[in-house]
Amino acid sequence: MKERITYIVKNPEEFTPEQLEVKDGAFALKGVNAAKEHRITLGLNELPRELTKALEQWHELHIRWASEQPYTAIPPFTSRVTPGLHVFFTPLKDRPEGQLCELLHSAFGSDLKCSSTTEAPIKLPILSERFSMSSSSQYYSYLSSLSTLITYVQENLCRPSSSSCNQTASSLLLASYLDIDYDTISHAVILNAYWDSASNADAWTETVTLPSRDQTIEIGVLSHEPNPDPEDIGFGGFLTVLGQDSAPKPTRFQTPMRHYPLPSSPKLTYTTAFSHPTGLHPTLHISFPTPLTAPNPTCKLHTHLTLPSYLFIDKYQFSDALFLSSHHLRSLRSIAGATDLEAPDWVVPQWGSAALFELAVPKTSEEMAKAEWNASIPLHLRYLPAAQRSHTRVPVPWPVVFWACRAEEGTKMAVNPFDRLHLGYEGLFGPKTRFMHVPPAEGGNGTGRLVEWIDVPVLDMRKAAWVETGTVVTVIVAFLVLCWALFGPIRSGNKDMGRGKNASKGKKKQ
Amino acid sequence: MAISSFFGSSRAVFFAAILLRAIFLAYGVLQDAYSPMKYTDIDYFVFTDAARFLSRAQSPYSRDTYRYTPLLAWLIYPTTWPGFWFSFGKVLFAAGDIITGWMMFRILRTYQNMSQERALKYASIWLLNPMVATISTRGSSEGLLGVFVTALLWAVLAKRVPLAGFLLGFAVHFKIYPFVYATSIIWWLDTDRTAPSRTNKAAAPPSPLSLLFKFATPQRIALAVYSLITFLGLNAVMYLVYGWPFLEHSYFYHLIRIDHRHNFSPYNTLLYLNSSPKEGTGFTAPSSIELERLAFLPQLLLSAVMIPLAIAKKDLSSTMLAQTFAFVTFNKVCTSQYFLWYMMFLPYYLPESTLLASRSTGITALALWVLGQVFWLQQGFQLEFNGRSTFVPGLWASSILFFLVNVGILGIIIRDVREKAPSTGEIKSPKKKV
Repeated sequence: MKERITYIVKNPEEFTPEQLEVKDGAFALKGVNAAKEHRITLGLNELPRELTKALEQWHELHIRWASEQPYTAIPPFTSRVTPGLHVFFTPLKDRPEGQLCELLHSAFGSDLKCSSTTEAPIKLPILSERFSMSSSSQYYSYLSSLSTLITYVQENLCRPSSSSCNQTASSLLLASYLDIDYDTISHAVILNAYWDSASNADAWTETVTLPSRDQTIEIGVLSHEPNPDPEDIGFGGFLTVLGQDSAPKPTRFQTPMRHYPLPSSPKLTYTTAFSHPTGLHPTLHISFPTPLTAPNPTCKLHTHLTLPSYLFIDKYQFSDALFLSSHHLRSLRSIAGATDLEAPDWVVPQWGSAALFELAVPKTSEEMAKAEWNASIPLHLRYLPAAQRSHTRVPVPWPVVFWACRAEEGTKMAVNPFDRLHLGYEGLFGPKTRFMHVPPAEGGNGTGRLVEWIDVPVLDMRKAAWVETGTVVTVIVAFLVLCWALFGPIRSGNKDMGRGKNASKGKKKQ
Repeated sequence: MAISSFFGSSRAVFFAAILLRAIFLAYGVLQDAYSPMKYTDIDYFVFTDAARFLSRAQSPYSRDTYRYTPLLAWLIYPTTWPGFWFSFGKVLFAAGDIITGWMMFRILRTYQNMSQERALKYASIWLLNPMVATISTRGSSEGLLGVFVTALLWAVLAKRVPLAGFLLGFAVHFKIYPFVYATSIIWWLDTDRTAPSRTNKAAAPPSPLSLLFKFATPQRIALAVYSLITFLGLNAVMYLVYGWPFLEHSYFYHLIRIDHRHNFSPYNTLLYLNSSPKEGTGFTAPSSIELERLAFLPQLLLSAVMIPLAIAKKDLSSTMLAQTFAFVTFNKVCTSQYFLWYMMFLPYYLPESTLLASRSTGITALALWVLGQVFWLQQGFQLEFNGRSTFVPGLWASSILFFLVNVGILGIIIRDVREKAPSTGEIKSPKKKV
């Protein structure tokens, strides 16, 4: 087991080295206002047998979970995914079917829509062949909390006696995001969690202890340094290898970043909303309250949508230039997954679909002068099962929005010790791409969440008791009436228009 | 009067019909060019995309939701050429309208012995109908079917049996539902009609075998053979070229489809209810009885068996109207484009119908037919755009009401045909001009 803990101090002026202390194989922080990343690397032999066996079914498995609570993404933890549970994986060649659904149901929640591992995931499109590290399949589900995982970890991974293990697991409840990575080459599982701030009063006061004598824990307390190179971010601070070092050692380094922060001013954010009423064709609006200017001329604004199966995109709508520009869209760059335009939700086995749009940015001076810029994406709802209510409420997590810019040095990004891959959209770009994420507005949807809820009208079964009988009786009666019309008695042989009651008025006009 | 002199000239009527479509076509081009809301029908993009796949030597079924014969994509192949050629298909469909209208006019003149003015007036139900013109200029192929079906009617009335067989086979290949016309045409093509002189009814009860021989006239056999050869031949060629997707999308899809999206069909709500999984029980739980699976029974019994048997010998064109009306009304899926299928028979039936003879009946029927749709559309709008759960009772009730209105109209049509004088070969019994 290896551990690395990184604190990024938010306000370097307030920080003094006296807040850190190494004593008796323990590292103590006092009131450090910082974001924190905790990375634990476990060898397969350190895991329970069943879990090892489950993991060995895949060539690689990458789980990305992001909280629906808005969080501050401090560099180098700049990358973002749509809130919820993402799984990216590549099955082994000779074993195409891993038991993914079973694993997800036991570790994350039994109510995830995942009925069959062969059918639930979707194939990821790879626009950039050279991005060979991309996984082949994707699964996603809305998941608001990691509480099931915490119980799973505590019951399956922690020794009951280990309070630090149990505590670390519980701390996931407040994490902003969590990554779990496994691949056959490293033969190790890496758990990586990020908290944008401490739970109590925005400052970390905690003690890190070594779980055993023969282990070490790397602890960095860093803050940003002025940028030395345009594509790098500089860090300075203190590094401590707990178990070896008796005191924090000063450090200073710089690294290129795949996910680069936006310039701090003007502060750009976005909000997501649906126009109401949503009906069966909700339109997703992405609004930028402040003027949009590209950080540099190579940057193109994109949004990546992760749509659960009850929502879908009609890709054929987005081939018309006028339609696109009226929605402030440039193009639908990629769409993958459940795109059937007719199927109701219950016959769609996949979790849903993922789409990448390039958004238009203000061009004319008139557009630039406007305070707010708004892009909209027309979506469609599938029919949901009939239920004992008139509407079924479904969550729609906010998409991620970012500038994709050309990077001069693509390959060097991997040397970044904090590099984060397998987010579902990098494979759609070339390797020399730098992502500059637009953060979602802090208030979220108004209740502080990065998720919209849609009320989908469904057949209300409380009112449908008569539908079957009513329909069948109507059809049978209609059929019998027509039989009577066909074979019943008539006044026959009347060549002119003599037809009972109509006979008197039956003269044609001509 | 201006109106009567207008309908007195076939040139004026056809010029007006062409002008109407030209205006709609031009308007559509303009709207498409300047508005994100398209005049062009979504299906037209499906056809033209499929044609584009053909032009790249790919299968037209590479386009999602292309559920037609590859011939349709081939017919509009020029839409893949640049510029104005994109509208070629709409021009073709609109030209189809005009040809259909011209054949209607000829049928009314020759086989219903109408004066030119009267025939033009009734053909104008189709020719000058803005709904028909809109549908074809928006690029929906339903109108093209009018050419084949009307040509089929004409060929049968003209006793050109091989041609009729070919057209029947082709129409069924194109859109399946015209197969119901096979029974009425076969039934109508009896010896009384086709033999030069009328045979006397046999005095002694004939044996079943002699009945069969009497039934299997050369004309009937020829129609069956020609239509089967055409239908099977076209399918064999398409299957050889386009393989399984051709069968899957052109035929099997229509047989197994359950359209959950609300439509005019009386079965729609029931289909939604019974196909949706019950809460708490994983995937689709089949309903207890699945009565909706028997929905094809009344539909096919009426449209393919009972209506032809009861009335085809009296009046073939009105029988085809009644068959189509029954087929569409009792179908599991019903959208407004299907109404075109029976509209193409109205000019033959209406002249002697109760609907025109009795103004109150006619206006009531038309008003109810329109109101039924308005009520349904209003409920549909509330659902689609305002998100109100109008499935029950609103949409269900309105589709049932609309169904009942249609059944009522169908009843009137059937009674009208039955009350006609016993049919002779229509051409041989010219009716007095009224």
